[in-house]
Amino acid sequence: MDRTINKNYQIANSYYNRGLELAGQRDLTGAARYLKRSLLFNKFQTEARNLLGLVYYEVGEAGAALSQWVISLNLKPQDNLAEEYLQRLYKAQSYLEMADQAGKKFNQALNYAQNDNQDLAVLLLMRLTGDMPNFVKAQLLLALLYMNHEDYTKAGRCLFQVLKTDRMNPKAQRYMTDVKENTGRAEIERRKFKNAFSHRQMQDDDIIIPPSYKENTGLQSVLNILVGLLMGAAVIFFLVLPASRESINRRHNQELQRYMEQLNQKSITIDELNSRLAEADAAQKNAEDSLQGLLDENGGVLSQYQTLIRILKAYQDEDMRTAALLYTNLDLTVLQDGVVDEILAWLIQDMQLKGYQELLKMGDELLNQEGKAQQAIDYYQRSLKINPTNPQALYQIGLAYLKLNNTDAANQYFGDIIMNHADSEYARQAREQRGY
Amino acid sequence: MLDFEDEISRFKPSLEVGAVEEAIKQEDLTDMNDLITEIFKTVKE
Repeated sequence: MDRTINKNYQIANSYYNRGLELAGQRDLTGAARYLKRSLLFNKFQTEARNLLGLVYYEVGEAGAALSQWVISLNLKPQDNLAEEYLQRLYKAQSYLEMADQAGKKFNQALNYAQNDNQDLAVLLLMRLTGDMPNFVKAQLLLALLYMNHEDYTKAGRCLFQVLKTDRMNPKAQRYMTDVKENTGRAEIERRKFKNAFSHRQMQDDDIIIPPSYKENTGLQSVLNILVGLLMGAAVIFFLVLPASRESINRRHNQELQRYMEQLNQKSITIDELNSRLAEADAAQKNAEDSLQGLLDENGGVLSQYQTLIRILKAYQDEDMRTAALLYTNLDLTVLQDGVVDEILAWLIQDMQLKGYQELLKMGDELLNQEGKAQQAIDYYQRSLKINPTNPQALYQIGLAYLKLNNTDAANQYFGDIIMNHADSEYARQAREQRGY
Repeated sequence: MLDFEDEISRFKPSLEVGAVEEAIKQEDLTDMNDLITEIFKTVKE
């Protein structure tokens, strides 16, 4: 058993050594493969795990790197290089935030790309690879999207960047083959390769001209210089200028894109602030309305409580008339706050029992006086407010209107009694008044 | 010639920094020694 375990350690070490060698040659994919195998044979092979984290970090996978280093430190808490890596990473908060954002953006872009939203994916990846050119996965995805749009030159640039980071990345090499085929680069390379290694048998009549041999005249030299100048100008015009123009355009586009994003961010912030301002305004108005409601002289809560107190005082003074009059001014809906429910219940019951009759009496007294019919109507109406189905109050209002020579209004009240209170004693009197 | 759909489907999401804790919890740390020890135990029983 011990021998087997020792053997496993040896295998793990061998794999680690091979991984280290490949990492040194910048074959990061190959290195990662061997390091994983090493860990499969010995999970405590700390160097392999730390190096695997470094490989992940180098290809822009900060999350995976963190994960390996944390595991490494857990398995070997003392004398472990992973501790230093983690400390450095946590100190560089800005990098950590950028790496976090990069992971999220990549996943978003991948989602876009896999769901037929390639333009958005390209935009996101362009920005992402601009910030993190060594993010291999992002460069590969961007290259694939460019290839799908048949923009092989841009795809080639992304793949070049990948191969700079991970020299033998198999996916990048496979894509690059395709790019070269489509840009004609493969043919050029094939020709160069053929010329470099092809040769033919020397024939007897072949002449070898030494490189130092020149047959130039003065005029030819001038012509050569002119041709050289022209070629130089052509190179600048056809090769250098378009490249620099493209570079400037690209920079401008990136800058424009950055500004657009900043502008969008600002717009969102402004919208949020406006929304908060509107909420604050609404809250202020609400508070003002509530305060106004409390202070309002007629319908306000304070005013209603004052009226209630005055009613109770009138009860205390046994002044039922004042109590009934004040009751008709009371807005019961405002006072239903649970504080005075019991008092109100008692008051309503008492008013429906006695209060409305007091008001009727007050109306009758005024009706018998000259020129006070209108005031009498007011008391009858208040009585009706407490007891709306009392035909006596309706009848008295009718009589008051007759006194005011307003037969139409009087008939309306008499009609109401005949129609709605046909069984009451006032129905007969109302009919008489109407002349039935 | 590459098959775009096939290639795009092979891409896997990147491990986000915020998801590291969960990834560590789910990491299978079993190595050959663990497996061999387990087998020995079973055989002895």
